Order: sequence, then structure tokens, then C-alpha cells
Amino acid sequence: MPFVSLSMEILLFLLYPLALYRLWLMLPALALHAVLIVSTAMKYGRIPLIGIHETLGFLAFTIGALAVIAGWKRNRDLFSYIIIPLILLLLAGSIASPAMPGALPPVLKTLWFELHVILSFVSYALFSIGAVFGILSLFYNEERAENNQYRSLLLGYVLFSTAMIFGGIWAYFAWGTYWLWTPKELWTTIVWFFYSLYLHARLVRGWTGPKVVWMGILGFVIVMFTYVGVGLLMKSSHEF
Amino acid sequence: MINFFLSLKTAVWTLFVLLCLFFIGSYMLPMHRRVFGPMNNDLLFHWVRDIAADNFWQTWWFFAALAGLVLLTVNTIFCSIQLVRGKWSHSNFLLRISPQVIHIGFLFILLAHLLGAGWGYKLSGMMPEGAYAPLPEELALRLNKIHVQTDAFGFMTDWSVEASLYENNHLVKSGTLGPNSPLFYGRTGIYLKSLNFDRGPAALLLIAKDPGAIWALVGGVLFMLGSVPLLALKWGKS
Repeated sequence: MPFVSLSMEILLFLLYPLALYRLWLMLPALALHAVLIVSTAMKYGRIPLIGIHETLGFLAFTIGALAVIAGWKRNRDLFSYIIIPLILLLLAGSIASPAMPGALPPVLKTLWFELHVILSFVSYALFSIGAVFGILSLFYNEERAENNQYRSLLLGYVLFSTAMIFGGIWAYFAWGTYWLWTPKELWTTIVWFFYSLYLHARLVRGWTGPKVVWMGILGFVIVMFTYVGVGLLMKSSHEF
Repeated sequence: MINFFLSLKTAVWTLFVLLCLFFIGSYMLPMHRRVFGPMNNDLLFHWVRDIAADNFWQTWWFFAALAGLVLLTVNTIFCSIQLVRGKWSHSNFLLRISPQVIHIGFLFILLAHLLGAGWGYKLSGMMPEGAYAPLPEELALRLNKIHVQTDAFGFMTDWSVEASLYENNHLVKSGTLGPNSPLFYGRTGIYLKSLNFDRGPAALLLIAKDPGAIWALVGGVLFMLGSVPLLALKWGKS
């Protein structure tokens, strides 16, 4: 079975680049990736979002799915030239990381945890798409791309906030507290404050143009550090 | 002075300063474990009184962040009041009320942190099977039985504990604790953290009373309730 999974992951490396020609050609890769995710879930009888191996793969899949939705009508351009290498980079990271086979530890067996993790990664994917639209906006000076960045980040912010609330509920049932003073929680708050800052700057102060676009791109760097960097460099209640 | 608290610039700069302080804090926490290690084990105000105040060179960012949060709270209240007092019409009702609902949710979450930091209690300890232990507020706990489930290889897959809670020596609650499944009595929760079999079956329990928890939930629900219409309206508008 690990051989089959690895073969499917390598096949994904061949299928995703098809989208460099036309974005809808990502659909076969997404279908295969969905099969891989669902089969992992069925094999272990749990949500397939444990450890860096599974979460990087899920993030790559979510970015791909959202990119197809957000860029369906786009012709071949910088959008797919950024998205596809990003997906391949995440997939490579996933394959290089050790898998965590087996069932969930009892403390993670709750719907609140599952909702917390799924929504977190969907919001990370939206923040990634927002950053890509930001680059497009700077490159083509496209107002539509800036608007798409704002929409992605607004939706990402709402889902991220909801994920944090669900995470707090889970933590309260699991550990008797909805907040712990650890680097991961502080960085999560940094992400949340940062996008609050972005939305206030744009919605209330009416900022537009390169200033807010750059904020959206910087936000992606902060999100990636919160996701991967904190887990690798700092000890926390979260493994990733 | 009032313009300072009403200004959006204040909110934006305070958020920016808080970002920087939390960034510094995320590096200070693992660097000074002796100072920050006990931060999550007791009420936050006790930690401030017993440890943080005496280690100001390591904890200054924490105090600065508290000051920033107070400023952000005042700013949020002032801005919300000003916006609510403005002219209303049917067409923009949802668009004007939803950010204020989000703000109120945020304020409730901060209030919850304040209540949880100063009131209630947190105790933890190992309790052998069959033991009886007094708790604060005239409560007492008996750990009746520990159950363990194992797989075919003998690895523990799940565990639970049967416990009884007494108030003034009268049984008030009995139930089963497990991971993610605490036993609640009023606002006191009894949590099963782990098991230990070194000297016979024993459970590591946490007994916590957090008067802020309910307000954190109210705040979270309000935040979500305000976010959804705001998202729908702004999405359509853009």
C-alpha cells in the first residue's frame, strides 16, 4: 500500500504540470489527488490531516482546487506559472516528509479538531491564492486581480477566524483552556491581527493599490512561517 | 484626546505594534523556559504576580502587549459607539451592524481572557484508582475506576475514568471522563490528561474553573454571526 501511495504521488507530479497549458487540465490531477486523500482517510479511519506529510499534500490539493475555481476563465498566464510550481513544491515537501500511519490519538478524536484543521488549511490555501493574485496585480497592473486578492483574503480571514474558534472549543474540552501561551498560538494571533490590519486598511481606510497588494503577499509569508516554520523551529502544543 | 481613541489610525498602529510584540514574544517564550514555563499552569494573574513582575527584562513584551490590548479595546468601543450613533437606513443596516457584531464578539473574547486570567483556579495532579481528594469550594473527587482499551498488539487505543464528585460530602455528580470528554459541575471541569501505571493505576487530572470560558464562546459565536453577512455583502459589492 505505501508503494501504491508513492506511485500515485509521483503520478501527480506528471499530471499537475498539464495545467500549465490550460488551467482546467488540472482536473485529472485533482481527481487523482482526491482519490489519494480519501483512500488515506478510509485506510486509517480518520481525517487525513495528521503530520506535515498529509497536511502539505492536502494544502497542495486545496490550492489546486481553488485555483481552478478562481482562474477558470483565465488564459494561460502568470497565474498558472506560479500556482503549478507552488503545488509541486508543496507535493515535494509532502513526499519528503515522513508519513504518520495509524489511527488518531484519542485526544484528536473529535469533530472540533477535524473542523479546526480542515478550515485552517482551506484558509491557508485562500491566503496563498490571494498572494498569487497580488503578484498578478503588480505584474499586469490589473485591478481585477487586486479585487480577487481582496475576495480571497476576506473569505480566508472568515474561515481562519472560524477555525480558531473551533480550535478553542476543542482545546477547552481537551485541555481545560481555550488559549495556551505557546509560540504557535502567538503566531496564529499574528496571522489574525495581520489580516485584520489588511481588512481595516482596505475596508475602512479605503487603501488600494500596491500598498495593500504587498500586504496580501507578505501575509502569505507569515502564514507559511506559522504553518511550517514555527513547528520546525519552536516547541509548541501544535506539531505543525 | 477623544479623537485619538476614535481614530482608525490608532487601531491600525496598535495592531501593528501588537504584531511586533507577539513576534518578539514567540522568540522569548522558548528562550526563557524558567520564566514562561509556568505561564500555562496557573492563573495568569498569579504568574504575573509571582514570576513576570520579577523578570521584567524577559516579560516586558507581555506587559506592552497587555497595554496594547487595553488601547485596542478602548479604541474598538469608541469606534463602534460612533458608528452606531451615525445615521441609519434600511439599505445599509446589515452592512453597518455586522462589523459591530464582530467587534462585540472580539470584546467578549478579550473579557473572557481577563476573567480567566484573574478568577477561577487550575489544579493538576496524579490520582490513584480508588483515591478521594478534596477540591476548592467544598468539593471533593473520588476516582472510582480506570478503564483502558488496547489493540491486538497491546497498545492503548483509548482510556476513560469513572469519577464521583461530592459537595459538602454529598454526591452531586458521577460520570465517565475521557480524552476530550471532561466532567462538568457548574463551571468546574475535571479533565483526564493521561494515565500512569508505575505504582498501580493512576490518572493525571486537571481540575479547572474558568469563569471566562462561557464568554469566550459567546464572543466566538458573535464573531461568526457578524462575519457571515459581512462576507456576503462585501463579496457581492466587490
